[in-house]
Amino acid sequence: MAMHVNGSEPGGFQSEINITPLVDVVLVLLIIFMVIVPLTLRGYDVSVPSEGPPRDATELELEQIVLAIDLDGCPVVEPPASPGLPDGCRVRLNDERLAVTELPGRVAGVFASRPETGRVLFLAVHDRVNYEAVLRVVDAARASVPGLRIGLATEREPVRASL
Amino acid sequence: MRVVDPGRVQSAINVTPLVDVVLVLLIIFMVIAPQLANGPDVDVPDAERPPSRAADAHRIVVALEHGGAVWIDDRAVAPDAVADGVREAVGAHDGATKVVIKADARLSFGEVRRAMLAIESGGAPDVGLVAERREPDAVGG
Repeated sequence: MAMHVNGSEPGGFQSEINITPLVDVVLVLLIIFMVIVPLTLRGYDVSVPSEGPPRDATELELEQIVLAIDLDGCPVVEPPASPGLPDGCRVRLNDERLAVTELPGRVAGVFASRPETGRVLFLAVHDRVNYEAVLRVVDAARASVPGLRIGLATEREPVRASL
Repeated sequence: MRVVDPGRVQSAINVTPLVDVVLVLLIIFMVIAPQLANGPDVDVPDAERPPSRAADAHRIVVALEHGGAVWIDDRAVAPDAVADGVREAVGAHDGATKVVIKADARLSFGEVRRAMLAIESGGAPDVGLVAERREPDAVGG
């Protein structure tokens, strides 16, 4: 490995930096990150309604917030071509129509006065709307409310508080 | 102290090339292994800020492909047998089990919703929807 060029004596100082330990450390770091990156799944938790009585009765004490995405307001059936929120998408937040770009601010306002446990946003989405577009809308809604949980509304009307 | 004289034959094996080759092989297998293990290759949706998931104690991955094929972990199941497959997979492991859905970005929400309901009836009330993180290219772009 050591190449003795004319003039460098065996006992003399070697003027080149020994980079072997550096390369070792970098390779180990590379391996560590390569292992970690595929293992970290990212995503959203969704509560799916069961057919029995509600599991958490305290959720029913508050009026439920329903985010509705229908085909009339949001005709996105193909995956959005560009990143970010789907263009021309209008959603309904508890029967109030708004552009999807206004959603983070409105959601933050609606949930601001609620305790952490009551922060559940129910999704009522038309079946034909593209899945990726829906996830991006969910992403925008979650961005402004820490700890926001997502619930799924089915064909049935979401259960209203009837106490 | 000099052990080896400059002019003498060195008796220790030079292991540096061996270590290099082994490291490269290790890297290659580490890249390939996760792609072999997790069933089909699904083009999951991009979003700006998907929260990263904590490591679940036991995770079942339900993959929904664009053509309608459904996989539970690395096993293909019929679309109408998802509930039974999930029940079986949940029952095979005692303790907390988390089901996540890796659904193709081209699917409609209805197909994903039906899978969520099937998973719920299979005994897993909360599901995770897997997304990938992607920064928007430009503001308003």
